[in-house]
Amino acid sequence: MTDKITDPVALWQKMVGEMEKGFNSFATKAMETPEFSQAMNRAGGVAAGAQKQFGDLMERYLLSMNLPSREQMTGIAERLQSIEGQLGEIKSMLSQMSANSGAPQPGAAPRPPRTKRPPSEGGEQK
Amino acid sequence: MNAPAGLDLASIPERIQSEVQRAIQRSIKGVEYFSTSGPSLGSTPKDVLHSRGTMNLYHYRPMSDEIYRVPVLIVMATTNRGYILDLVPGQSFIEFLLRRGYDVYMLDWSAPRPEEKSLRMEDYVLDFIPDCVRRVQADSGEQDVSVIGYCFGGVLSLLYGAIHQDGPMKNLICFTTPIDFREMKLFSNFSDRRYFDVDHLVDSVGNVPPEMILSSFEMLRPASRTVSQIQLWENIWNDEFVKSYRMFDRWATDTLPLAGEYFRAITKDLMWDNKLFNDTMSVGGRSARLENIKVPILHAVAEHDHIVPYDAAKHLIAKIGSADKEEVMLKGGHVSLVAGANAVKRLWPKLDSWLGKRSI
Repeated sequence: MTDKITDPVALWQKMVGEMEKGFNSFATKAMETPEFSQAMNRAGGVAAGAQKQFGDLMERYLLSMNLPSREQMTGIAERLQSIEGQLGEIKSMLSQMSANSGAPQPGAAPRPPRTKRPPSEGGEQK
Repeated sequence: MNAPAGLDLASIPERIQSEVQRAIQRSIKGVEYFSTSGPSLGSTPKDVLHSRGTMNLYHYRPMSDEIYRVPVLIVMATTNRGYILDLVPGQSFIEFLLRRGYDVYMLDWSAPRPEEKSLRMEDYVLDFIPDCVRRVQADSGEQDVSVIGYCFGGVLSLLYGAIHQDGPMKNLICFTTPIDFREMKLFSNFSDRRYFDVDHLVDSVGNVPPEMILSSFEMLRPASRTVSQIQLWENIWNDEFVKSYRMFDRWATDTLPLAGEYFRAITKDLMWDNKLFNDTMSVGGRSARLENIKVPILHAVAEHDHIVPYDAAKHLIAKIGSADKEEVMLKGGHVSLVAGANAVKRLWPKLDSWLGKRSI
């Protein structure tokens, strides 16, 4: 077996690992400073502001093209979500009613009994 | 000229041959890598018990002849998808639990829609989790429910448990759950209240975009992504390595946006005021002191967790009001604690031995 000290592949891998550790450590120190936080959040704030302005502009453009605005689409999505929610409730109620009646639910496999006990210390798992 | 000490000259031709073969394999497998989609994840058979906006409740189909009386509800972190706990057969935490006889449910999250930007902490702690617990009770026919929370799913589970002191939570398991947010040094600095205008951000963008969440995670170890790509190229001849890389890479980059109001509350209450640690946290006007939690609790932390450092998690057990409480520190990082080969031999058996006897 080739010794790791003289194996160029192992040396390369070790070097990459060390570089990763070194760079991460250096970057972490830099990112822990208040100056970094200030600079990062200034840039982030500008980006968020630009995103909002662009969104407002698009909204006006869609309106002028007689296309549904974001607000209208959101309204439709909310109504759909409400319908989905109600369908879910109906499905859940039907399942509950079916379970209460004792009739097997279509497609549902019978559940195993809830009788499992933990294996004794050092014993075999079932 | 003499060979350097430790260099086995006889092995050099063999080594060159091996490297040439690997180089050829790299070219072939490299093409394969870009033309295939990777392993199918999250494929353990399950039924969607309920779905409402960002919230999804799954029930996994049992895989053993008999199951423990108490069902288990897993609460996933709101930033990531639940399939990290259900990778592929043999490396799926869900499959492990099912085969060990647990009845498993999962509260998983979809990306919140733009209209869900107004979801607050109250919606998660006082509506989504209680709703899922009620549905687990109804589906299983059992009153007791054990809860497992991963990362921020652990924080939500703690808040739920601290507020709902009268049950029905029977056991609580937290994986890498932070409570002292001052100790999440980099996140704390990124969100320094002197420079980070969370109101401006949330009012501007609504839901916090997943790219921003992913960037903040990646900034914790900025060189690691590049290095992992170098490692992928080096090991692309190795099918097992590539499969594992693809699973974890896909999951890590599949980050979810966060609902705006919820993010605002996390920033102000947890990152800025550290209310969970200071015992001043409340949700919807209801006090959420950790000492209110009296059920058995297991907290698993990772030795090399760069996302939730141990200092951010170490006070949890001391603050909990339970008599039956345990912290276990295992080798691994934030993700390898719960998924992959490390988890298979460390966390999963530990969890099984702890939870089994408390699930009857």
